[in-house]
Amino acid sequence: MSKPNSKVSQKNSATIDRREFLTTTGLATGAFVLGFWVPPKTADAAIIAGAPWYEEPEVQEINAWIVIDPDDMVTIRIAQTELGQGVWTSNAMMVCEELQCDWSKVQPQYASANRDARESAPEWTLDVMGDGAFDPIGGGEPLFRGREPVRGIPDSLYRRMRTNEASSVRDGRYYLQLAGAEVRERLLLAAAGQWGVPASELTAKDSVITHQQSSRTTTYGQVAYLATETPHPNPETINIKPPSEWTLMGKEQNNLDVPAKVTGELVYGIDVRMPGMKWAAVRACPVYGGDVKSYDFDAVRDQPGVQSAQQLPIPDPSLLRGRQFSGAVAVVADSWYQAKTALDQMPIEWDIPPQSATSNTADMHQELMDAMDQPGTVRVDEGNVDAATVSADKIVEATYSTPYLPRARMEPGNATALVTDGRVDIWLGDQSPQETRRSASVITGIPEENVYIHLCHLGGGFGRNGNGPQAEQTIMIANANRGTPIHLLWTREEDFVGTTYRAMGVARLRAGLDADGWPVALEVRTGMQEDGFGPTSSFNDTSRYYVPNYRFTNHMTQFHIPCGTRRGVGQAAHEFYRETFIDELARTAGKDPYLYRRELIARTDLPHRDDMIRALDMVAEMSDWGSPLPEGKARAIALEEKGAEASGTATISAMVHTVSVSREGVVRLDRVDVALDQGFSLINPLSVKKQLEGQIVWFYNDAMHQANTVLNGRIVENNFDRFSVSRIKEDPPEINIQFFETGHWMRGMGHDRATSVQSGIGDAIFQITGKRFRDLPFSQHDLSWG
Amino acid sequence: MAINLEVNGASYSVEVDPQTPLLWVIREQVGLTGTKFSCGIAQCGACTVHLDGVPLRSCRVPVVAAEGKSVTTIEGLSREGDHPVQVAWKEFDVPQCGYCQSGMIMASLALLEKNPNPTDAEIDTEITNICRCSTYHRVRQAIHRAAELMQTREA
Repeated sequence: MSKPNSKVSQKNSATIDRREFLTTTGLATGAFVLGFWVPPKTADAAIIAGAPWYEEPEVQEINAWIVIDPDDMVTIRIAQTELGQGVWTSNAMMVCEELQCDWSKVQPQYASANRDARESAPEWTLDVMGDGAFDPIGGGEPLFRGREPVRGIPDSLYRRMRTNEASSVRDGRYYLQLAGAEVRERLLLAAAGQWGVPASELTAKDSVITHQQSSRTTTYGQVAYLATETPHPNPETINIKPPSEWTLMGKEQNNLDVPAKVTGELVYGIDVRMPGMKWAAVRACPVYGGDVKSYDFDAVRDQPGVQSAQQLPIPDPSLLRGRQFSGAVAVVADSWYQAKTALDQMPIEWDIPPQSATSNTADMHQELMDAMDQPGTVRVDEGNVDAATVSADKIVEATYSTPYLPRARMEPGNATALVTDGRVDIWLGDQSPQETRRSASVITGIPEENVYIHLCHLGGGFGRNGNGPQAEQTIMIANANRGTPIHLLWTREEDFVGTTYRAMGVARLRAGLDADGWPVALEVRTGMQEDGFGPTSSFNDTSRYYVPNYRFTNHMTQFHIPCGTRRGVGQAAHEFYRETFIDELARTAGKDPYLYRRELIARTDLPHRDDMIRALDMVAEMSDWGSPLPEGKARAIALEEKGAEASGTATISAMVHTVSVSREGVVRLDRVDVALDQGFSLINPLSVKKQLEGQIVWFYNDAMHQANTVLNGRIVENNFDRFSVSRIKEDPPEINIQFFETGHWMRGMGHDRATSVQSGIGDAIFQITGKRFRDLPFSQHDLSWG
Repeated sequence: MAINLEVNGASYSVEVDPQTPLLWVIREQVGLTGTKFSCGIAQCGACTVHLDGVPLRSCRVPVVAAEGKSVTTIEGLSREGDHPVQVAWKEFDVPQCGYCQSGMIMASLALLEKNPNPTDAEIDTEITNICRCSTYHRVRQAIHRAAELMQTREA
């Protein structure tokens, strides 16, 4: 396969010869090291200075994660992508903790996705567990055999270069600690060899190696060159520290990339500049699955700077995890504004699939509701729900709805690509570079071994990247313009077309209560489209809250809106359904929602039962639960957990939300108290606090403001005028966070905390106004009272 | 046509369509990429710069409107990140993804220059930039801290 099936209307050939281009830049900058091409440093020195991408080191690396310069500067390669969650710092901390190097001389850098295609992982890393795994010995030294296999590509150099599911720490800790330990041991062996003493007599701290008996010291930088030639005889015997011995991890560390983020020097994908680069603006059919019928490039080809136009086919769904996006037209010009202006004025006709052309939210919602009346797929069926419901004292039933939701990260989709006859270079922020590497290879016919991905920090992620076709579109255009670097940038409106959505969802919960108000039966039906993510979240193992008879069924439909892994995935909606319903049951029973939850957890035999109770008790105390509040103010409580119904990894938190609603119906989240499980230990508690603060507002937006609707097959809200995002004035003035230690390894922090803001605001609105709303966002309702 | 601009104290003459938004001239012709594009409709504030000291959203201002005026971008605050607002931002580790922060810092600086000790209510009114990571909690703390640092510097 060579070029994509696309039409190219070329105005003039502005391409440059690949060899000439590389020779010129190479000579000018000396940027060729070991044949690895990096961006020129002279042309745009100020811009490139803040680039975090992979560069071949000037001194030899010790292992694939670590390079130590003679001046003790340590470069640590990061195989996950920084998108604000702090992985740039926390992954480096994991390596540094074992390496025992000077933290003030650590410089992270992206691992090479190209090397990952060409090199296998060292043998000693292959069996190191990932995914948090079961940890039979308290989170400390890893066992090397018989572990749960790591997910992803376990034998490629950096195994899983994907940043999702809040899994960077969970997946990476053991083997990144081991990567640091392996280098430390080799440095010690090298120094021991130089001095003729046993390595066991040496100690290492802050990049200094000491032999106490002879009062000799040396530094990592001085012996690094020896360590490169000193293999460890048996890395599998190296132990890593248990949390009780950590000195760096577990303590708040400022994020290493923050200084570059306050000066504007950090290079995001949108900031990449190349010599001879052209800009591409793209418009895809706004109805997913649609294609280009015709376009009239002649109408705009004479506009200033305009180079060419190109039709882009519907990207191969197999490159995008089965998701179908749309066909598109690109205009290439000297500047992006010229390309965008020409595209705006170019007549385009779409070929829209008739079955999608008239779809709209109301009909789709009705279809979901109808599906819940049909038999669904039974996921759990414990006891006899029907019989227990019939004999119950009281029946409570409620139906809930949640809308389509986007990620709407701040940096619109973009990428820069240069395709030549033998190689592809791509600069972009990417949560899944191994998949992009494959896309580049499939589209261009160039083997993955010759695809170079220069990773940039992302201007927000939230699960978005790796879903949409920004890289695929860029590669298609660059492939048709071989030799010319192409920078594609979507407008905000286009970004809403090039993304996937969290599925619109519905749920019907029905409980039978006994005479004391305790549930004897619970039936949960949820509905979403078949490609929606997380249809079984939160309900699938068993009921979180004790009920002797429990049934959970899925009721799926098919829609044309492509769905993806938005922050919180299906769980965020399902937690809204469940926690709201528990509040409704508690209020029906006339019981305190905190004590009602507490009792229903206490009645279970769930493996993390005691930690869940602890979280509830702790947050109740923090929030002064039960103390009087003025009129117009209310508290609501909820439990949040992931994994706690099963054994193994779990993250548990409880939150109390203090909310006021004015008589005019203006909602304010005044205060949030958070009790969070920290497992054995957090890696960087500062990043965890920031993630919590961010997710509180994220789910506040889901609760109060955000929804995407569909009209005539297209997403209606496609910029920040119609798609509402809260500003600083709605930030809760008071956020109190406390951690508590538990005996398990955590699931992660990046995406499913603070989902309870949704049920919390809903229950507070009910307490204050007497109105119970079961469909989000709440701002669509009249919340006034009195 | 050639348009004359002063950006961070340096003079530029750029050949562009005069209707080109100032943002794109700053990012492409002048080559300063700290100022970001996000919505293109003056909603989010990621593109905030100062024009003669006044904050504005440069994605909707034609470059011709900046002719003969003084433009300040994030790069104009300090070379080393030691402006009090930047120092406060680092102290509170404010940025997450960081994409909106150039604009957030420029908006905050404009507020502090007009009002050296803003109240929370004044921050609520004046800072209308979007941060999708929701760093608002730390932005507020850092604005108060920057106010202290700026007063100390002037004292």
